Amino acid sequence: MNDRAVQDLLIRALADAPYRDSAEWRARALADPERVERFARFLARHFYHERIVHFFKYSRALGRVTGRRPEAVLTRPDFDALLRAAVLGSRATAQAVADLVAAYVRDREAPGLVPYRDDLLRYEAAMMVVEAGPRVWTDTGKGEEGRGKGASPEIVEGTVLLELTYDLPAVLPQLLKPWTAVPQAAARPTRLLVARSPYGRVAVARSDDTVVAVVQLADGKRTLEQLAAGAGLEVAQVEETLQGLVDLGAVRFSTGS
Amino acid sequence: MASLSIGAFYNPHLGAELVRTDGIDHLAMADPPAAGDPHWPAIRARYRLLLHDYLGQLSEPLDERSIERARTLAELYRTPWVAEHFQCLHTQDGTYNLNYVFPPLYTEEFLTRFTTNATALQARLDQPLVMENIPGFFDVTASRMPEPVWLRRFFEATGVGFLLDLPHVWLEAHYRGVKAERWLAEFPLEHVVELHVAGVEEDRDLRGPWIAPSEPSDEMLALTAHALARCPRARAVTFDAFSPSLSMDVLLRSVQRIREAV
Repeated sequence: MNDRAVQDLLIRALADAPYRDSAEWRARALADPERVERFARFLARHFYHERIVHFFKYSRALGRVTGRRPEAVLTRPDFDALLRAAVLGSRATAQAVADLVAAYVRDREAPGLVPYRDDLLRYEAAMMVVEAGPRVWTDTGKGEEGRGKGASPEIVEGTVLLELTYDLPAVLPQLLKPWTAVPQAAARPTRLLVARSPYGRVAVARSDDTVVAVVQLADGKRTLEQLAAGAGLEVAQVEETLQGLVDLGAVRFSTGS
Repeated sequence: MASLSIGAFYNPHLGAELVRTDGIDHLAMADPPAAGDPHWPAIRARYRLLLHDYLGQLSEPLDERSIERARTLAELYRTPWVAEHFQCLHTQDGTYNLNYVFPPLYTEEFLTRFTTNATALQARLDQPLVMENIPGFFDVTASRMPEPVWLRRFFEATGVGFLLDLPHVWLEAHYRGVKAERWLAEFPLEHVVELHVAGVEEDRDLRGPWIAPSEPSDEMLALTAHALARCPRARAVTFDAFSPSLSMDVLLRSVQRIREAV
């Protein structure tokens, strides 16, 4: 094993609590286990602080009326308990942390003030979970952008389609500006697609029936023509939709067998 | 930057005040300016800016995309030098990422990796490259040489400048149970171009001090003066705090106290 591989083990041990607890890791005796555990907990709190502050910024802005700052969960016992199984950057841990935040924010009633609160928490949690997962750090020129010619479109793992009761995109920017009365969202069914680029950029787009059909049928096996036929759409229309979805990071082109 | 420049990091939430204030010679940029940052044009017009972003970890070669990004930011900021860190924080397959600075193993293999990749990056930049030391909270048995020896060999092999982070040195000395001045004396100070100074605070997970967006202590300022007297090529000292919780009072007072100390 070369030194770079040893460094990977160290990074994994700091990021992955179950691995840190394994006989395999302990047998390597690379560092003082107690120091490693302390540093790993420090890193985890830092890792999720950054993400909660970023992804739950709208709930944070509403903290004035709800009395709940989302990042306060980081100092609660249930977060400490979660650290025993946390894997930094995994979707499962992102979901578990997002659930803690949502439960904590919901726990304080603010009747009538923020009728779209549940939608907002679902939106923010979706953003945080979509951001998780392995990412490309170095472009190897192997087509991570996923624009293979003549290949089959495939939904990117982790992409989420949200069905909301309120028109959140219209109200979100207002929440981050100065306000006295809580900005309100129109009660209007709204579909949003949340996706991540291979480099970790999370993007959101409004979606319509065409997008939903394409997302549901893009399985990496159907060709463009089959997909259009399955969705009952023109090939040109599907092609245009796919381009937008590729740009968003929601779809890539499968070039595998 | 003929004389010693004393500055801080650009904290966008303090943008309006930074545009108006006096007493800060330069601002280091940890992130690119946000698209909607109303203060950015005035900040860019007013301040000398130092590129101090995450460009990539030099345990691997930077790809074209990262190099182009570095070049674009360097041009945007008109930076006198480009900074990166001695860090290796994500696995090669991209599965695990610490999202926080973490040092490499101090071995021959990593020395070759960093030397090769830093030299390649330097060749693509129009400004000098400087590299910042990163603290370890624990020793790793797989490391084969002391950090200061590894750093000296790196700087001698590459001609790259040294961004000396003093709180990082102070923390390592603290956790090793040695005096900071003694530990500092091991480092290749003749290569230092810029120094970082910051506060430290108790962390409940570490059960000890760690870097924090707070004022440097008198002890840290004394260490700064001690270090500067041994860094003949130093051109800048930067108050290293970048956090939404940082107040303008703390930033200004810290810069002022650094100026008085040096």
